This record gives sequence, structure tokens and C-alpha cells, in this order.
Amino acid sequence: MRLFISFLLILFVLSSSFAQTDTNHRDKVKTLEKVSIFKRKKKKLATDVKLTALVDELLGTSDNISFIKRGAYAWEPLLNNMTTERSVITVDGMHVFGACTDKMDPISSYMESNSISSIKINSGQHGNMQGATVAGSIDLQRISTPFGQDKAWSGSYQTGFEFNNNQTFNLGNISYSSAKFVADGSVGYRKAGNYTDGSGNEINHSQYSKFNTSLGLAYKTSELSSIKVDAIFDQANNVGFPALPMDLWLSRAIITAASYQQQFETGLLRVWDTKAYFNAIEHYMDDTNRPENLVHMDMPGWSTTYGLTSRVELKQGSYQGELQLNAYDNLSIAEMTMYPQDRSERTMFAYTWPWVTTRYAGVSSSNTWNLSPISEVNIGASVGTHYNYARYSEFNRIFYPEASESKTRFLPSLNARYQLSLDKFRILLGTGFGQRAPSVSEGYGYYIYNSFDLYDYIGNPDLPNETSYEVNAAINYESEKWSISSQVNAFHIRNYIVGKILSIGSPMNYQSVGVKAYSALEYARLFNIAISGRYDILQHLHWKGTLTYARATDNNSVNLPFIRPLHYQSSLQFMHKKMGIQAAINGDLSQNNFSPEYGETPTQAYAVFDLSGDYTFNLGKHHLTVQVGIENMFDSFYTTYADWGNIPRMGRNVFTTLKTHF
Amino acid sequence: MSCTKEKTNYLEETSREIPEVFDFQEASSMLVDRYRISIEALNGTFYTGYNELRVRITDTQTGETINPDSIQFIPISKIADGVVTSCPHLFQLQKSTQNAYWEGYSIFIDEQLPNPTWKLYVNLVVGQQNYTATSDITTKEQLNKNLNKTLFRGNDSLDYMIALVSPRNPQVGTNPIIAGIFKRITTTHLAEFVPLSPSYYQYVAVNDHTLELDPRMPEPSMGNHSSPNNVNLSQRNDGFYEGVVNYTMTGNWTLNFILKDARNTIVKGNAVSTAFTPGVQGVKGELHIDILF
Repeated sequence: MRLFISFLLILFVLSSSFAQTDTNHRDKVKTLEKVSIFKRKKKKLATDVKLTALVDELLGTSDNISFIKRGAYAWEPLLNNMTTERSVITVDGMHVFGACTDKMDPISSYMESNSISSIKINSGQHGNMQGATVAGSIDLQRISTPFGQDKAWSGSYQTGFEFNNNQTFNLGNISYSSAKFVADGSVGYRKAGNYTDGSGNEINHSQYSKFNTSLGLAYKTSELSSIKVDAIFDQANNVGFPALPMDLWLSRAIITAASYQQQFETGLLRVWDTKAYFNAIEHYMDDTNRPENLVHMDMPGWSTTYGLTSRVELKQGSYQGELQLNAYDNLSIAEMTMYPQDRSERTMFAYTWPWVTTRYAGVSSSNTWNLSPISEVNIGASVGTHYNYARYSEFNRIFYPEASESKTRFLPSLNARYQLSLDKFRILLGTGFGQRAPSVSEGYGYYIYNSFDLYDYIGNPDLPNETSYEVNAAINYESEKWSISSQVNAFHIRNYIVGKILSIGSPMNYQSVGVKAYSALEYARLFNIAISGRYDILQHLHWKGTLTYARATDNNSVNLPFIRPLHYQSSLQFMHKKMGIQAAINGDLSQNNFSPEYGETPTQAYAVFDLSGDYTFNLGKHHLTVQVGIENMFDSFYTTYADWGNIPRMGRNVFTTLKTHF
Repeated sequence: MSCTKEKTNYLEETSREIPEVFDFQEASSMLVDRYRISIEALNGTFYTGYNELRVRITDTQTGETINPDSIQFIPISKIADGVVTSCPHLFQLQKSTQNAYWEGYSIFIDEQLPNPTWKLYVNLVVGQQNYTATSDITTKEQLNKNLNKTLFRGNDSLDYMIALVSPRNPQVGTNPIIAGIFKRITTTHLAEFVPLSPSYYQYVAVNDHTLELDPRMPEPSMGNHSSPNNVNLSQRNDGFYEGVVNYTMTGNWTLNFILKDARNTIVKGNAVSTAFTPGVQGVKGELHIDILF
């Protein structure tokens, strides 16, 4: 800790000395605009072919993201081919933790596409601003209307129908903006039936329904300060998970925050933003629609988090930095009640998360120096303490009699990046080091059934920290007509946590074949590469393409699971006047580097074609956009490397969207 | 924020099947000369199976508690005219650490008795004087299955008994498990009953044996589920056997045992299948006790 503080001090001294030597003071107002959150830059949230997509589909537009899919809903985002334990997923910087031991509720499943304005993804240790990570960070940013808009009231409405699974959605937004006061709200409702795969078979238990609403109120307390309260409420009912032996009866999230922001016109300190937050999630699985199950179970879960973030933005001369404090307290509880076949007999009860408390407090800083007009260096550091305590630690002691009552970990992170811009080239070189603590399941999970490899999983509270060493590089060429970029990263992760077959203990879940303990491998290595390009063929005709490849092995050169084989994506976009046509193809080559050790079977290559067209017109005073499209045009029957239990994906799907705004 | 479904009250959940236990209360009393003998048991009740007993002696003339030099105790049940039997018990009661009372136990077995009533014999030695008193008692069925017992004939043709003593209220997790193991010895004096003669012990503690333990859940859907890291029971200084049992969840469990003597010869019991057999009730060993919590 002391070492780190002195390190921070050195950074400060360095930055102020840089600042002092810089005599070229920039225009104050200009600087303010750059750091202001009042004018947040807007990014179009849409996929290549779809104007209105699911949050998961939006996330999937990033080259770094792939998904484990257990059905049509709540896909688990993999960042750099790593599962959610290894990434920090936040909502406006707030830590939210799912309440399902079977990962039916990644945080992205509690959002709706019209309640977020952007998704910020940072790869590897560059994502350490919100806390300790290995894979990086994903921040889902809620819509935020600036003060003093030209139009006081504005709103939008989107509706649509998708034919494959009879999905209907209705998404509405409204906002009010004055010089002193801002309010924005969103409401969304989706309902879908079972989808049909490319062979025309209905995939039972793939339906879902979801309601999401959010509200934000902001008040300008002075010219340079404001307060804001935010709330998101999300409820999903009757969600099927065809790849799992259970469905979801109900999940509910309430995510709230109150924040205060102060800006400064002069000096090193430019913005100070502090937020206190609370969120609670409840999640109830349901197996009553699965008569094939031998055992009826109740598996409710709860996750409650209180947190605080406080961050400052610093700027002076050629230095620009950010310092952030993160603290949170999470309580994760999951229960399992098994009903005997003779219901008059005693039910059987155990905690799958035995009231696990996680407390984290850490500081992170990111510092950028413009060394010259063409080069900059960024150094980031973070340090945190991570505390775990299980109220019913006797569950864990069955397997680990010596397991400690509570565990405190010290999680450091460092990263450095150098960027050089030469004419049309931009070159990035980076490196990082960081540690993460085991997740609640990895540390304290108790007989969590994994229907992929058919093992019951047991956590170990005393697992060592997972330690990541990372290098990354990117090169980018951009001209008026075309651009090409390539990014690579490689991770050497010590104590990589996976499930290893345990010689003791016998399965508890009837489908299970054995017991696995979360264990630390000596190391694992992951390598990711993405190449993407863009070419403007004609003024109104654009091409985009992406190629990604990844490879991951453990210390015995055994393949790790859920690693994406060579993947490609290519799209053509034609826009003329009020009309647009998009065509896209995406696919994977066959998965040769699969991992039988972790329950994988090889998957075949597949390719899926999508096509859509849209038209914008005015109807009276209203501005309307209509889109009609077709996904998986040739009705391919396919499953991917990350489809849980190799469940087939959706076949041909015709979708329609109507969008209007005022 | 209130939740849609309430969280389980874990304390209630793990004590649901355990009858409420109150303090030690007087279950029987007797008068001999100037001394009043009070025998206390949990809830003031004698149950079948293991009973921890506390004995207090009061001098009725002074009203004060006295500490005799020694106390002997024996429960006797009449099988037929002139034929009696006893059950495992502590003959020489022991002073509690604070001298507040005398400690003993009795493990009532009613299953094999035609007329399961008991007579308690207590003998006080005060000075050089013996004071012997008796009282008739009845026992109630023990509803706490964690204090179950089993009577069996060993491979050596002797009659044995294993009675669970602890845990009375098991928890999911690691539980020390204590059991008493006794064997029945034949006596030739049954017809001529002499109170407080060691001949009538009939059940004596089994020494230097090992009780191997394999706990499993018999419920068919649990497929013969077991727990790891259990420790076989071995004898303590007080004669009882202690080991460790891990329960991975609440519910019905079967403790499968193999009783081995000091030479490692199996007295009774067999190894049960360790196969995971979902949907099929686990086959219990020939020597086992069922518990429930």
C-alpha cells in the first residue's frame, strides 16, 4: 500500500512538473468541453443490419466480445475469450453482481437497448479503473440527456416484430431538458416465444419476456456543479433456457445511484464526480416445466450491493489523468432445496452460495502524457483490497476443513501504453500486469451443477489470486477511402482458475457425473487477434469486414474451452437518400482446437447471411424509419463453439422495426 | 427491499426435524432415609436410546445438597417372573466438574422387552453407610432420529448395540459424531436378582474396536450421494467412540457402519456401493443407522 501511495505521489510530481514546463496554455473553455459529461458524445447503438437490437447483440458488435449462449436470452459475454469472472462488468461504473449460480443473469441481461447510450469496453489491464480485472472491463452507460438542449422535450418510440420467435418489442424514451433541470426516462417491453432452428425444429423453453424501465433526474446546483439520481428497474418473467435443465421464473433488478459532480474551470483538477449506489437482484429458477427432471428443486438467489465511486479528472498542459476510488459491499446468497420423490418426506436444503460477503476498496489511476504531437504514453495503476467472508463457511469446510473464516487479498494492477501517430498510421504498444480474486462461485460455490461438463462444482476459499501478464499491440491505417486495423493481445495468466475433477465427494445433482473443485492451473495462455477493415467503394456503398482468431491453452498445452475459432464478419451498406440496404455475412470456421477435457465437442463451420432494408419518411410532423430484414437468410442449421450443450441457433428470422422520434 | 420469495431461515431449517430440547429437569425422584435422590433428564423425560442423566442428592433435614462418597446406578427391566435385564448405563456415577451434580447415562432399549417398564436402582454411599432406593419409570419414544440406535448380532454370535449420542442437532457441514458401542454378555444369575450386582450389567462397553463410517443419502433422487472427509469412529477415554461425519445438506441420511475389532476382524457390516445411482434408492449396509435433520 505504502509503495503504491509513493508511486502515486511520484506520478503526481511528474505530472505537475510536466505541467510547469508547459507554457502553452490552452483555451480554458475548450478544455472544459472536452472533460465535461454534460455533453456526452453519442454513438450509434445498432448492429450492422439491425436498427433495434438486444443489448447482447449490441455488445456482440465489438471484436473483443463473444458469447456463451444458453438460449435466446441473457447471453454471457466473453471478453477476450474469457468468462465473466475475469472481467469487470459495470453499469455507469457501478458494480452489479448477478444472483444466479448458473450464470443465467449476466449484468447485461438487466439492461435494455433503449436504457443505455453506449457501451465502453476496455481490454485487459486497461480496464482496471473500476477494479481488479484480468480480461478487461465492460461499462454499460445509461442514457444521459445534457442540460440546456434546444428542444425541451424529446422522445422516441420503437416497435417491432420478429417472425421466427414471434417476438414483439415496444421501446419508448422521453426526456426533458432545461438549463437547470433534466429528466429522462425509458420503458421497454419484449416478449418472445420459442424460436425455431434451421431445420424447422422448435426449440422448447426458449421463450422470454422482459420489462425494463429507467429514470434519471439531474439538477444543476451551480454553473459548474450538478446532482443526479438514477434508477433502473428490470424484470424478466418466464424465461426459458433450453440448454439448461432449468428455466427462470422471475428475475428482478433495481439499480439506483445518487451522484454529485463538480467541475473546475482552472487548475489541475477539472472534474470531481462522486456517486453512491445501491442495487439488489433477485433470481428464481424454475424447473416445473421440465417433467423430465427427476428431482424438483427450488434455487433462489439474491445479490445486494452497496457502493461508492469517486473520481477526479485531471488536466494540465500535456498531462491528462484520472483518479478513481471504488468501494463496494456485496452479499450473494443462493439456496438449493431438493424435493424428494415422496413429497411427504423431508426436503433437502443447502446453500450454493453460503451468504458470501465481498468487500472491495481500491484506487485506480490513469495518466496520459503527450510526449510530442505524435506520441503519447499512458500509465495506469490500481490497487485494491478484496475481502471475503462466508456466513456459513461450514459448507466450504466439508471439502476444505482448513478453509479460512475470511480472506483478505491485495490486488495490484499496472499497465503502460505507448501510442504513436504517423501520418495515416497509428501504432499502439501496451503491457499490463494485474491480479483478480476468485469469484463468489470459485471461492464459495457449493455443488453448483454445470450442465456443460456435467459436474458439480465446489469453490475453494483459499485459491490464490489469478495473475495476468499481458502484452498488446495495435496498428491502424486510415485514409479517406479505406482503413485497416489490427489488434493483438497475449495473456500469460498464472493460477488460472478452472474446474478439476475431485477424487473425493459424490455428485449431488442427479444429472451430474462427479465433483469438480475450482483449482488453480499453473498457468494458461491466451492469444487474441482481430483484423478489421473498411472500404468506401462508392459514395453510398461501404464495406466492412472483421477477422478474429484466438488460441488458448493451459500449462499442459491442453486447449481451454469456449475459445472462438477463426471468425469472420463482412457487411455491405448502401445508403441513398432516405433508403438504406445492408447485407452481412458472419461465420466461424470449424472448431478444431476444442477441449474434450472441459466437456467440449467439436463444432462445424457455419455461415449466416443477413439482409435488411430501411426507409425513412415523414408522416405529418413525425419522422419515421421502417426497417425490414432477414437474419439467417438461408435457414442454416448451426451451432457454435459457445452454444451451451451445442443447442442449435435460430433459423431464418424476418424482422421488422418501426422507429420514430420527436 | 422485500423480496418475492423469502430467504430460508437457516436456523429453523436445520432444527425442523429436531424435537425441542429444554433444560435438564427432574424425571424421577426417590427417598431413602433422610436423602432425596433426584434424577434429571432432558425435558424431564426418559427416552428410548441414549439419555444423559444428572443426579442430585438433597438432605431433607437440612434442605441442602450433599455429596455422597459414591453413587451406583442400575436400570432394571423385568422380562418375566424372576427374569430381569438391564441396558447400557454408567454404573459408577461421576461427579461433575463443579461438583454440582453426579453424571451418568442410560441407554434404554425397549424393543426387545415384552413389558418395557423400568426400575431404577440407586445406591448412595455416605460415610460407611449404603442407602439403596428404587423407583419405577416409563420411557417415551425418542423422536429425534439423530439419537437412533441399532441392536444386532455380530459375526461372533454376540449381541451388540450401537447408540448415537451426538450430534443431537446436526448441521450441514462437519459434525463430531459420538456413539456408544456395547455388547451383551450372558449371565447365569438372572433368576436370583441381586440389586446392584455387576452381574446384571449385561451390556458392557466394547473396547478397542473401530467403527468405519460411510454416510449416504437413501432418497432415490439423491442417487446414493455421500460426503467426503468423514473420519471413522475410535474409542475415547470415557469408553464412547468418536469420529467425524459430514452432512452436505439437510434431509435423510443413512450412516453405514463396519464394526471391526482390535485385530481388524469385521464384527458386523459390509462396504456399500459407492456408485452414483440417480433414481435408485441407495442400498443400505447390513449395519446402519438412519438419521434425519
